[in-house]
Parts: sequence; C-alpha cells; structure tokens
Amino acid sequence: MAGWSEKVLEIDLSTQTYKTYPLDMDMARLYIGGRGLGARLLWDLVGPGVDPLSPENVLIFTNGPLTGTGYQTSNRFSVTTKSPLTGTILDANSGGFWGMQFRKTGYDVMIVRGKSDKPVWIEIKNAAITFHDASDLWGMRVFALTEKLGQNNNKRNVLCIGPAGENLSRIAAIMNDRERALARGGPGAVMGSKNLKAIVVEGKDRPEIVDKDQFKFLLYEARKSLAQSPLTSQALPEFGTVVLMNIMNNVGALATRNHQQTQFEGAEAISGEELTDNYLVRNASCWACPIGCTRISRTEKVEGEGPEFESTWAFGAQCGIADLPAIIEANALCNDLGLDTISVGSTIACAMELSEKNFMDSELRFGRADQLAPTIEAIATRSDIGADLADGSLRLATKYGHPELSMSSKGLEMPAYDPRGMQGQGLLYATSNRGGCHMRGNMVGPEVLGAPKLIDRFQVQGKSSFVILHQNTAAAIDSLVLCKFTNYGVAEEYFARVLSAVTGIKYSTGDMIKVGERVWNLERLYNLREGFTNKDDTLPPRLLNEAPTDGPSKGWVVQLEPMLKEYYRGRGWDENGIPTKKKLAELDLEVLL
Amino acid sequence: MIDTRIYEQFRDIGRDLYTANMISSHAGNLSVRLGDKLVIKRRGAMLGQLKPHDLVETGIEKNDSGVALASSELLAHRTIYMSTPALAIVHCHPRTAIAFSLSRDEIVPIDNEAAYLLKKIPVVAEEFASGTPEMANKVANALKDYKIIMLRGHGSFATGQTLEEAFLWTSILEEACQIMLYAKLIDEPFIEYRKMSESYTKF
Ligand code: SF4
Repeated sequence: MAGWSEKVLEIDLSTQTYKTYPLDMDMARLYIGGRGLGARLLWDLVGPGVDPLSPENVLIFTNGPLTGTGYQTSNRFSVTTKSPLTGTILDANSGGFWGMQFRKTGYDVMIVRGKSDKPVWIEIKNAAITFHDASDLWGMRVFALTEKLGQNNNKRNVLCIGPAGENLSRIAAIMNDRERALARGGPGAVMGSKNLKAIVVEGKDRPEIVDKDQFKFLLYEARKSLAQSPLTSQALPEFGTVVLMNIMNNVGALATRNHQQTQFEGAEAISGEELTDNYLVRNASCWACPIGCTRISRTEKVEGEGPEFESTWAFGAQCGIADLPAIIEANALCNDLGLDTISVGSTIACAMELSEKNFMDSELRFGRADQLAPTIEAIATRSDIGADLADGSLRLATKYGHPELSMSSKGLEMPAYDPRGMQGQGLLYATSNRGGCHMRGNMVGPEVLGAPKLIDRFQVQGKSSFVILHQNTAAAIDSLVLCKFTNYGVAEEYFARVLSAVTGIKYSTGDMIKVGERVWNLERLYNLREGFTNKDDTLPPRLLNEAPTDGPSKGWVVQLEPMLKEYYRGRGWDENGIPTKKKLAELDLEVLL
Repeated sequence: MIDTRIYEQFRDIGRDLYTANMISSHAGNLSVRLGDKLVIKRRGAMLGQLKPHDLVETGIEKNDSGVALASSELLAHRTIYMSTPALAIVHCHPRTAIAFSLSRDEIVPIDNEAAYLLKKIPVVAEEFASGTPEMANKVANALKDYKIIMLRGHGSFATGQTLEEAFLWTSILEEACQIMLYAKLIDEPFIEYRKMSESYTKF
C-alpha cells in the first residue's frame, strides 16, 4: 500500500540476528507512523516495571508515510523507548537526512532489542543488514565517528552515540547526521546499555504517492503559505530559533538562573540577532525543507550547527551566562559527546543554585562561562562532579536534599519558557507525557507569537482547550512525522489532505487530530501502567508559589489547579486524571485494557 | 462566572460582525469552547451590543445551567465541537455569500486571498435550515474538512482556535463573494492567473 512500505525490521542484539515481518496495517491506519506507531509498539513490547537500561527495554525507530516523499519537512523520524531519566514513555524525533535515508531502505519500523556482549554497529544497505564489531569505535566522539563511518548526505547517513551514551548518562542523546539529536529523556543511554554504537543507513526505494496531482498542488500551496508567514519566511531563516530569545525576554517568560527570574539582563548579548551579526557562517536546512532554520556558526575554537534557542537559553539565561562564544562551544561539545543540551544546561544551573546556597559543595556559580566546558566533559565521562550531574537535575537535587530546586516536571528538565508568564505553557509542562517539554504542543504560538491568533497569555479559564488541541495536533504531526515549524505557516488541514493524497485513505482534519488524541491517551495509559498518577501532573513549587517581583509577569504564578481540573474534564478523564471507558472506546483504545 | 477576558472577545467580534453588515440586529451567534464547556450568546441578544449577562455557559455534551436561554443554534455548536477540533465558532448571515449559496453547491473564490486561504467553500442544504439535528450533523460533517462552510439560504459557519480566527475566514468569504459579484457585473472573460487552478475546485 502506498504511504507505508509495510515492513518491520526486528533486530536482536543478544543473538545478533534479525527478522522482518509485515507491518500490521490496521495499526498503521490508526497510529500512522512516527510517535504514534512507536507508542503502540512500546505498549506491547515493554511491560510495566522494566528497567530502562536493561536488555528488556527496546528502541523503536519509526518513520511515517510522508517521510522521504519530498513534502516540506518530510525528513524526520522518531525513536520510542522507556526513558531512563523519567521512567515514562519516551519518544524523541529528529530532522536531518537520516530519516529520509532510513525510509529508502524499505522499512517503516526498526525494533532493536536485547544487548550485545561487545560493542557493535549495524549497517542497513537497502534491505540487507550487517553487524560489525565496534570495539575500536567505542569511546569515539560523534563528529569523528560520523566521518569514519562515511556519512554522505545523499547516499549514506550515520546515527550514533557518543561517550555520554556509552557511560549511561541519563541525559544522553542519540545523534544523527553529526549534529542532529534525538535528545530528550536519555535515549542515548538506552542505546549505550545495548552496546550499540551506530546505525548506518543507505537505501534506494522511493516512497509511492497515490494522487500525484493533488500532492503536487498541496506542495505548491504549502510553499506559498510558508513563504507568506513571517515566522517561516523571515524569523526562522534569518535568525534561527534563537529569534525567540529577545521575544521571550520582553514578555517576561525567559527562565533565568534556574527559574529564579523571568528576565535575563544579558538576553541581548545571546540573542539571535547577535548570533547572526557576529557568529553566523551560513544557514543550513534539513532535507526537503524550504524554511532552513539551522545556523552554522563559528567561534575561534569551533564551527558547527546551532545553537538552537533552547541550547542558547540553557547555557545562557538559565546559567546566568551572557557569553555567546562559550555557549556556542558548549553546544558543539554536547553534540560531539552526545548529550541533551536542555537537560545539561538546566542540570548545571540546578547545581549552581545548590552550590550558591551551600547545599552542595562545588565551585559552580551562576555566570561562570569558564565552567561550562569542563562540567560538560565531566558529565559525559561521569567523572568528578559529573557523576552526579549525569543523572539529571532531579536525581542531583534529591541527592543533596532539595528536590524542589530541580526545574523539571516528571523528572524532565523544562525548556526556556517560564510558565509564570504563559499560563497555558504551565499546564502543558505539567501534563506532558514525557515530562517538562515544549515539543508536545507549544503555547508559544498562540500565547506569544500570535500564531494562528494571539490569546491572552494570562487567561486561565478556557486555557485547557487550547492546550488539549495543541497537544493533540503535536502528537499528530509527530506521527506523520513532520517538523513542527511548518505548522507556523501551514494549517493542520494540509496535513490531513497531504496524508490522504499520499496514502489514498481519506483523512479529515478532525481525523488527524483524533489520531493525536489517541496517541496522547495511549501514552497516558502507558504512564499510568508504570505507576504515575495525577500527583505527577505538577510543576516545581517555585513556579506555583514564587511570583516574579518585576517585569511583565510580575505577581503571576502558574494557576495550575483550576486549569488542571478543566483539563481532565476536557480530555474526558475522571477527576483523578484517568481516561474514562467512554473516552477510550471513542479512541479505539479499549482493546488495550 | 465567565472571565472578562472571554466576554471582551465576544463583545468585540460581535460588534465587528454587525458593523461589517454580516448580520441583522438580533441574528447570528458566537461561541467558544472551554474544556468540556462552551460559552454561547443568549437567545435574542444583540450581537452588536453584547453585555456580560448575554453570555451563557453550558456543557459541550449535556445541558446544564441557563440552557433554555441559549441560542437556538446551540445544538449545531455542540455537534461541531464534538466532531471537529474547533475552539471557536462564528455563525452569521453574510449576504453576498448567501446569495451565491442559492445557486451553487460550492463557492470557489476567484480572488487571490480567498483562493489562497480558503480554496473552496462547500454549500450544504437542509429543508429545515435552523436548529434541527439533521442540520447540525450536516454542518458539523462539512466542517470536518473545511474551516468555513455555507448553509444554503441561511448563512455561514466558521471555526477556528479563536473567535478572531473564525471571523477572519468569514470576512474573507464575504469579500470573495463580493468580488465574484463585481466580476459578474463587469461581465468580461476571466483570465486565469493561478497555477493549477482546476485543483482549487477539488480541494
Ligand atoms: S524548519 Fe529547521 S528543523 Fe524544521 S525541517 Fe527545516 S531546517 Fe529542519
């Protein structure tokens, strides 16, 4: 059937064997691909109580029916696993070229299970699988390894872990195409625990499209929309995601010094404008993307991709550091070592606060740019202070007796947006299935940027309906798998229509959002099965009790309780946040119970 | 208790609809979704001059407080919320669009802005074009695929994340219909300027 290759590849590292079998097409129709399909498969494969770093955990790589078709941003793929950082269901997705190449090998899904007794790397050439000894590659950093395994953007692409994943840092990323990351929640550690160093893909199958005329028309219309939206035609290509630095600072929603403030006096010095003026070499983009938000930047010491807004914020405002070259270098170092920049930056900030308050004995202090690189190296190797930081901020802060100083939700460090200045964002973090996350629906569009329309960011009543819609939409886009930035220019209805054109199955906008709702509820069920409850739908006490004393968000804390109540009802869950039978039946999820 | 931030949106969009000639004095209505509730204009209130007490809050699925006072179109609004991702609905009577709806099964704009943003607007028909379950289902069904649709001889239903967004689609539709009307009056052959123009009718 067009849209899916209909093939699953299952690799068992314990025996270094593999098998292939047909994809369950009823499942594919309900979950589409990417995050959705990954969640559904994880439900079956990793039952409750499994240690995420044991051979019983799996890594599920999925693409989607649009991947590799050439539709704008159809370059992404995702990985699903049980998170070693949070213990929740985890999916992370990434752009670049690897996803498109993986699709061309002819598989929709690759499941990696077990554990190899010695380091190994896998080569997938068209459909053929080869296991290679990776003993001599173990310990290598990402950039050198990518080059050694022969990355070629159009023919051969490399996905791998760096030393951080090998050393089981719970904030380790899986890297692909050198500097693209499946970053959050520690999937790099899962790959490390399996002794799997890299997966190299090379393929030649082109995805089929059922209604080519309609596909062409939608491609053309989407291009017009992207060219017309100021966000996708100007802000992102000109300044990259870092364009948000000044914007968030101006509205008083830029988390600063471990969320002790909501504005950073050094924001201008680390802004997208500053990056463009003084450090930008050129723009770059993922495969089939006309937006091109990627920056290639250079300092005296490094040249490479990034930094993204979140990374710049994590090492910048969150650590109280206004030194852009040091931030660019910290970002590059994380990429080379295979680390999640958000969690690393926020964990360092947490350690800085613990140290300044004498809860922890270390030299770390806010504003010390010189401390970034050595601390990051220590995290990747688990040496010295890094041994504690490698487990993320919640375990760190708990160890030193102050868990409340971890700026995380369900154990995942929150990104840059301080929710005291964006009420919807607060509800979003608290209810996100993989923990404090801005990619599970982001309220920055409606609450700050006016996309599609501006809503009052301090409004509490009715906010849940926006959050629910955005969470469902994000889950649908992640299941397709497309880049969320297209959604700043192109409405959801395009996604439904393009999916229909590619697969020949009729999907309406409402159907797409329903797929997202199904995925969201399935993830919720997974977490409930793992023992999470409504008590985990919360935020650090600082955000609930300590109002900023100045700036545009002065006097506001997150009004979580009323929003959460409304949210549970709006989702069709009971007052304890458990999906009702009726809701599950409506979403074809009843069969799972 | 309805938040004043929400009342203000109703008041402003209601007034704009009236001054834009999209409704007569007491017609049309607006609603927004708040989780599992919705807020809708009270029956008989003037959309151009809404007061806080003109808004009624009720459940999306089942009736609760004040429901007898709600607009006669409540059923349609409920059905739309239950079957689409809409968070706001604007229903009004754009006159040129209504005129076109009397002779067409779909309205395919010819101007650039509407062609770009709306592609086409389906027209659905119902014998009792007001307040019946049949009409509510037809309208909601069409809105699964389109952000704005016409109910023949009655008016438009537009959805969005905000009232402002739904109002935007409404005003674009009416403007597109006025342009088509003028083009008809000028009565000269139409020179197609859009690439793949036939695809708009298939959207
Ligand atoms: S917008 Fe940026 S992240 Fe998204 S596909 Fe394009 S280049 Fe990649």
